[in-house]
This record gives sequence, structure tokens and C-alpha cells, in this order.
Amino acid sequence: MHSYYPEDLLAHAVNRYKADLRDMRFLMFEQFNLQDLLGKAPFGDWDQENIEMVISEIYKFATSVLGPLNQIGDEHGCKVVDGSVITPEGFKDAWAKLYEAGWRTVAVSPEFGGMGSPATIGILTDELLSGANTAFNMYPGLAMGAAEVVGHFGSDRQKKLFVQRMLDGRWGGTMCLTEPHAGSDVGASTTTAKKNEDGTYSIKGTKIYISGGDHDLSFDDNIVHLVLARIDGAVAGTKGLSLFIVPKRRVDDDGKNLRDNDVRVVSIEHKMGINGSATCVLSFGEDDECLGELIGEVEHHGMRQMFKMMNFARIGVGIQGLAVASSAYLNALEYARDRKQGSSVKDWKDPSAPRVPIIEHPNIRKDLLEMKAKVEGIRALIVKLSTHQDRETALAGKDDASAAYHKGQINLLTPLVKAYSSDEGFEICAKAIQVYGGAGYLRDHPVEQYCRDAKIFSIYEGTNAIQSLDLVGRKLGQAGGANTQAFLGDIQKFISANKDHELFADAIKQLQKAHEAVGGTVMLFLGWFQSGFMDRIPLVSERFLKMMSELAIGWLLLEQAVLAKEKLADVSDTHPDHAFYTGKIHGAIYFAKNILPTVVGTAKVISLADTSPNEIPDAAFGI
Amino acid sequence: MFDAEPFPEEEESEARLKILVPIKRVADPENANKVKVSADGTQVTSEGLEWAINPFDEWSLEAALRLTENRAEKKRTGEIIIVGIGPNDDGMMRTLRSALAKGAERGILVEADDASLDSSVVAKILAKIAEKESPDVVFLGKQTADGDSNVAGTITAEHLGWPLVNYATQITVADGGFTIKRELDTGVQTVSVKTPCVLTSSDRILHPSSVKNGITPDDFAYPESDHARTAPLRDIMKAKSKPFETITLDSLGIEAETTVEYTQFELPPARSGETTYVESVDELVQKLHGDAKVI
Ligand SMILES: Cc1cc2nc3c(=O)[nH]c(=O)nc-3n(C[C@H](O)[C@H](O)[C@H](O)COP(=O)(O)OP(=O)(O)OC[C@H]3O[C@@H](n4cnc5c(N)ncnc54)[C@H](O)[C@@H]3O)c2cc1C
Repeated sequence: MHSYYPEDLLAHAVNRYKADLRDMRFLMFEQFNLQDLLGKAPFGDWDQENIEMVISEIYKFATSVLGPLNQIGDEHGCKVVDGSVITPEGFKDAWAKLYEAGWRTVAVSPEFGGMGSPATIGILTDELLSGANTAFNMYPGLAMGAAEVVGHFGSDRQKKLFVQRMLDGRWGGTMCLTEPHAGSDVGASTTTAKKNEDGTYSIKGTKIYISGGDHDLSFDDNIVHLVLARIDGAVAGTKGLSLFIVPKRRVDDDGKNLRDNDVRVVSIEHKMGINGSATCVLSFGEDDECLGELIGEVEHHGMRQMFKMMNFARIGVGIQGLAVASSAYLNALEYARDRKQGSSVKDWKDPSAPRVPIIEHPNIRKDLLEMKAKVEGIRALIVKLSTHQDRETALAGKDDASAAYHKGQINLLTPLVKAYSSDEGFEICAKAIQVYGGAGYLRDHPVEQYCRDAKIFSIYEGTNAIQSLDLVGRKLGQAGGANTQAFLGDIQKFISANKDHELFADAIKQLQKAHEAVGGTVMLFLGWFQSGFMDRIPLVSERFLKMMSELAIGWLLLEQAVLAKEKLADVSDTHPDHAFYTGKIHGAIYFAKNILPTVVGTAKVISLADTSPNEIPDAAFGI
Repeated sequence: MFDAEPFPEEEESEARLKILVPIKRVADPENANKVKVSADGTQVTSEGLEWAINPFDEWSLEAALRLTENRAEKKRTGEIIIVGIGPNDDGMMRTLRSALAKGAERGILVEADDASLDSSVVAKILAKIAEKESPDVVFLGKQTADGDSNVAGTITAEHLGWPLVNYATQITVADGGFTIKRELDTGVQTVSVKTPCVLTSSDRILHPSSVKNGITPDDFAYPESDHARTAPLRDIMKAKSKPFETITLDSLGIEAETTVEYTQFELPPARSGETTYVESVDELVQKLHGDAKVI
């Protein structure tokens, strides 16, 4: 085959991805006790040993196959040749290896050929794959998300025809919502669907920014687009949208005889980051030959169905933020231990004092500790969410009240995971560059790419502003506020149990104050809603999402620290776990004393109810 | 006379190689900085270490897998028995199971205290198991990443009275044995060996066409890689249910009498991390040759 890339590109590729498997083990088996759910239905095939083996094999795969392609994808990007997208050198081979190894289907239900692991293993798999190569992992990630929707809402025929093929690498998948005039406002979509006599629909319209909208990776060269479109005569807004399966190439019921379905790649975007992921403008039905079928054969349920995928994808974006931030931190840490510059602050009067590694400078230590605490805190938040999923799965049909509690926490935490992780992920990557100094700004080190890749996370899958409105406008009050109350109640229980802790009493006092601040702000919002001050909410909703996330993370980190303190008693100081647990203690204290007080400060800001952004006339913003 | 048994059976059973692959778990070489020496200096402490399969054993396992499969059709065609020797702990079991996950058919763990083992005891154990199992090949790593003694294979062959070929870089199955290329400092040596035999390999065995077993098509190329294969998810899940036997030294009639005594371990001196800048090539040569004495 003709290659579009320099010959020896792959030979020079190196992996720079790093992950913290010890922390993953800690979360699974020490903090969230996943072992309680293993060895019995629905996770009967799973035990601690095979989970650890799977995670370590995936890490090997991530660092040996995906990691080396990360910079190649960034520098060479995708190309459109003769109307088709060519992905970066090496991606096709990596796709084949990924599906041969089966890593994408760890957590997929056995019904669709997966291994049915707890969702938590799927989440950590995703961290490893995304961290090693964010852009690459979007292709299989989207195929999987789309397959989930068909698996959940599709008719029996659709499930049989599409799902497994989208999960085993034969076909790809996308989600097509965005249009030139319908971004955050999905309801403004103008793509149309016209019912044909045979029950299919003719699709016509343009979708933009479609990730993986075309590629050369899938084994059978087909991609299943899930397209939001309005059936002729349907009402305006989101309620009139339906969701269609629109394959790139039409198939018969055996998945054979693939032939063109009039889906065209108009162009691909040139971007700041995730350059290995093709972001496509797609045109459907230019020649009136594009056929789609309605998912589950129900009309006007498009948004509800798409939300299934969006919730999955929102958690996925949170994982993306965590994944690159974690590797950015670990790379910065390695660099800080190595790079010598300046002398110790203790020797400030002595110009001949020896040069020290920059990790000895307090400023750098503070940055590193903040990055560490945030990365581990975000990972804890995400694993908390996924263990709620696993407990809900395990309890469904047996103990509906408990299952409902877990489901409620998943709903509540999803916008936090998406928005906090993506905002902070970007900040952590930027901080990593700062730790490196000039070197971090150069292509020679991975952190500048991480930073560019990470920026999109706060934008797609619903911008973080939209996430914060979802949190304040919908999630806080869901189930009559019961989910929020349960969340605050869980934290209060921890505070009450540990407020006199010999080591953490001070830190837990900060947690208590942050808890009060969040609780108080929720009450304030309730008052605003009741008094009709709706226009105040969007001015502070993003701040509130941050407050609530940091409260949750402060709690989870302190819970870790309490555990770590107990465990330290049984570990000799030469044991590597000694350093690990000690790190947990310092990270939690740092977060409690340096971040949690800002939660209280933000509550104060919100309570001032300043509305100047709403009052300033447009013209007064400037020229 | 006319035989009722269909012919192919016979042919297949001839091709079924049976290989014993001893596997040692060692402190993960990627985390070697975590290795610590006990206070009295006579022991390397294993406390809290991340265990990994000895990389040299990983190569021999890879070679053994290539000898006993049709890679093009992804079918196993022979039998690999993994042998672990050491304590029955998590690190050991994980290491052995990961070998099973890569494709080995069954496993044996000989329970023993790390301290009671040296190359001589290990070789005795392996010879005993080889006598019991009658494999075609005992395929060892040429050395271990921790002890670096480099003799277990040789002593095992001696006990068994079997031929030994060390440092195999290319193996071709030939009539009743193998044709093996060995890479030496002086060039490449080609030798023929009959089974049963003892083999060790070098890392070149990971080369895409290092093994020709007459079953995987000769033009099949394994992927270009510095690593042995990793286990796919499905096989990791199956590893748990593969036959596995745990036996004691007593049951083999072996006394763990070590012949080597370790008197002193020292960690390598810490790297100073000091950077020296030079102005010219001459100065660089002087520094490397005269001061550091490395060239
Ligand atoms: C690289 C990339 C990949 C993408 N992949 C996909 C994909 O696979 N599938 C797909 O369908 N889409 C995809 N998108 C589109 C993405 O989801 C949208 O860009 C995003 O939803 C925002 O829409 P917009 O760009 O039109 O911005 P706008 O909606 O125009 O928003 C502009 C700004 O206004 C704010 N804003 C807008 N409306 C409101 C409101 N009601 N309240 C408060 N603030 C508001 C936003 O937060 C934002 O800050 C991708 C985009 C990019 C850049």
C-alpha cells in the first residue's frame, strides 16, 4: 500500500505515557472495596487476580502500542484523500492489535461478546488507553458509545446486525448531533428524515465537527453514524428529533453486500489538538441516496436515546481529562527530580552552594503536590462514580431502594466528572509545562501536546457551562433533592466519624466548612429559584460545580488519608507502600488546607449575587 | 496391513511438541530502584516488590509458544507446561497465571522458600520434573534478571544427560529435533540437536521469523517487537481454569541443600546526576577516557 508518511516514522516513535497503577489498585481494593462484588453474579468470572492482570496487560499495551503513536498522530494528523480520511501512520495496526487483544470489550456485556467486568475496570481501561493516545482512543471509544445506544434502544434485528460488529472492530461508530447552527442548542438541528414506503428514512443534511466521521480503521470499512434528524412534520426543538442509524455503507440483514450510502466527507478540521482524531464535516444525502433506520423504530425519542450515549460519553470525557493530567503530572515529576537548577532555599546566602534538582524548590513542590492531589482526587471521584454503577448493577432487582440510591449518585456526579476533570485536566497540563520551564513548551517533551489535546475536553459533549446548568438546574433538584441530600449526608457521616482524628482533625474542620458552604449555596439557589432570580444562576453555576466537585474530592482524599494512616502502621518504612501511603496523607492535607478554603470563599462570592455581567449593556463591553 | 486408524492422527501426534518452561518471578526490572538490601547485607529483601516474569524466561516462553502453535490459524498444536519454583504467594501465582494466559496448557508450582534455592537446587528440581513429564524440550531462560548466575540450564542438562544448546536465536524444527542458529561474538553458529534436549534463548528469538515449526506457514512473520506477546483478554479469563498442580520438594524427594552462599550484597552507588559541560570534542574525549575511563 502507498504510504502517506515518511518511511522511518514508526522506527523513531517513543512512548512517553505514564500511569499510576498502584493508585488504581488502591481505589479498587482498598477504598471502594470492589472485591465485595466479585466472584458472584453478575461479576462471577472476575476476581482481584485477573483484574490486576488485565490492568497490567492493558498498561503494557498502552505504553508499547498506543503511546509511541501519540506524537506521530499529533504531528502528522489526518488527511482526506479521494474523499476518504486517512488516519496517522500506525493507527490501523494499533486498531487491529487492540481488537485482537480484546481490551475494548472488558466491561461489555457477554450478550454482545464482552467479558462483563465491573464498569470500574472499563473506566480504568479507558484511562490507560486515553492517556497513552487520546486521539486514537476516540475512534474505538465512539464506536463503543454508539453500540451501547443501539444495544439499549435498538430493535432485536438492529441489535443483532449492528452491536457486535461495532464492538469487535469490524465497523466504527459516531454520534452526529452538531450542525453549523446547532451546537449547544441541539434542538435547532435542521437535518431531515423523510419516511419511505419500506419503512426506511431518507436522510438529508450537514453535520459538523463529527469525531471519527470517517476513517480507514474498521476491518470491514464501515461506520455506523447515529444521526439526530427531524422527521418531516415533527415539532421544532429537541422534542421533534429522532435518532437514526445511518451506516456509511448500506448492508443487508447479514451485514454483507456493503454499498455506498451517500454519506460524504466534505472536509476535516485543522485543530489545536487531538490531531490524530479526524473531526469531519459530513454531508448526508447530497444525491438523495442516503437511507437511515429509526433506532428502536420509535419516532421523536432521539434526545432521550442520545442522552444515553451522552452520559456514557460525558464520563468518557472526564476520563480523558484525568488520563492526560495524570501522565502530565508523572512526567513533570520525573523531570523535576532530574533537572538541576539553582541552590536550595536553605542556602540562599551561599552563592557556591550546590545545584539542586528543582523538586527541592518549595514552589515546585507546591505545584507537584497540588497536581498530585487533584489527579488522585479526580481519579477517586471517577472511580466512586463507576463503583456506584457496579453496585447499582449488582443490586438491581434485588434491593431496589439501594439501587436507586446508587443511580441517583451517578446522575448527580456525571456533570462533576465531566466538567471538573476536563477543566482541571487542562490546568494540570498547563501547570506541568510550568514545572518544566522552557523545556515544557517544546515538542521534545509530552506536556505541551497534553495541554493542547486537553483543551477540547471542556467543550465537546456539552460545554462545561452546559454541564453546570445541568447540575444546578436539573441534577440538584432531581428526585425531590434526595440525591443531593444523600451526597451531603454521606460526607457528613464521614465528618462526624472522624472529626477528632489525631492527625486529620484540622483538615476535617476545613471539610466541614466546605460542606456547610456547599449546603448553604444549595439553599441560596433554592431561594433564587423560588423568587424567580433565574438570571443569576448562569453567572455562578460553573463556580458552584467547582465547589461541589472540590468538596467531593476533599472528602474522598481525606477518606483515603484516614485509610492510609491505618495501613501505615503495618508497613515497614522500606516498603514502597510506605511512600505511597505517606503521599496520600500529604496530598489530602494539602487539598484540605489549600483548596477547600477556596470553596468557602466561592460561596461568599456567590452570596454577593453580583449581576453586573447581566447589567452591563452590550455596547459597553468595548469596541 | 490396512490400519483402521485414520492417517492424520499419527501425523499430528508427531508434530505435538511437549515443552517444559520454567518460569521465575523476579523483582520487576522496570522498578529495579525499589530493590533493597537487608540491613546485614546478606539478602535482597523482597518486601513490597512488584513482581514480574523474568524477562529471559519470557523469551523462552515466547519461543516455546511459537514452536507449539499454528500462528496463522491461531491454533495451539503442542503442549507447554509451566514450572514455577518458589513460595506460593500472590506474586508467584500472578506470574504463572500470566504465562498460562499467554497460551501455556498447564502449570506446576514447586513450593519452596526463596532462600533455600540456588541454581543447583533448581536444576535438580527441573531434572526431576522432566523425568516425570518426559517433555521433548526443557526451555529455560539463559539467566535470571536477579541472580544472573547463568548455569541452571547447563546443570539441568547434565542431570538429564540431554544435549544442551544455549542462546538460540533461530530455531527450525527438523527431523527428530531442531536446527538451531546461535549468535556468538565470533559469528553465527548452526547446530543440529535431537530431542529430548535443553535449550536457552537470546532476545533475538523475538525476531519476526526466528522460529519455523513446520506448522505455522514459513512465510508468516510475527510482529516486529522488543517484547514477547501479551495475553489477550479472553485468554486471561481462561487462565484460571487451566490445570494447575502444586507440589512440594518432599514429594519430589529433593532436599533443598544450596551450594552457593551469599555473603554480601551492595546496591550500586547512587547516580550523582551532576552534569559536566565540555567546550570541545577533545575535552570530551579527555573526560571520557582520562577521567571516567569509559572509553
Ligand atoms: C474536536 C471536536 C470534536 C467534536 N466531536 C463531535 C462529535 O463527535 N459529534 C458531535 O455531534 N459534535 C462534536 N463536536 C461539537 C461539540 O460538541 C460542540 O462544539 C459543542 O457542543 C459546542 O457547540 P458550538 O461549538 O456550536 O458552540 P456554541 O454552542 O456556539 O457555544 C459557544 C459558547 O456559548 C456557550 N453557550 C451556548 N449556549 C449556551 C446556553 N444556552 N447557556 C449558556 N452558555 C451557552 C457555550 O458554553 C460556549 O462557551 C466536536 C467539536 C470539536 C471541536
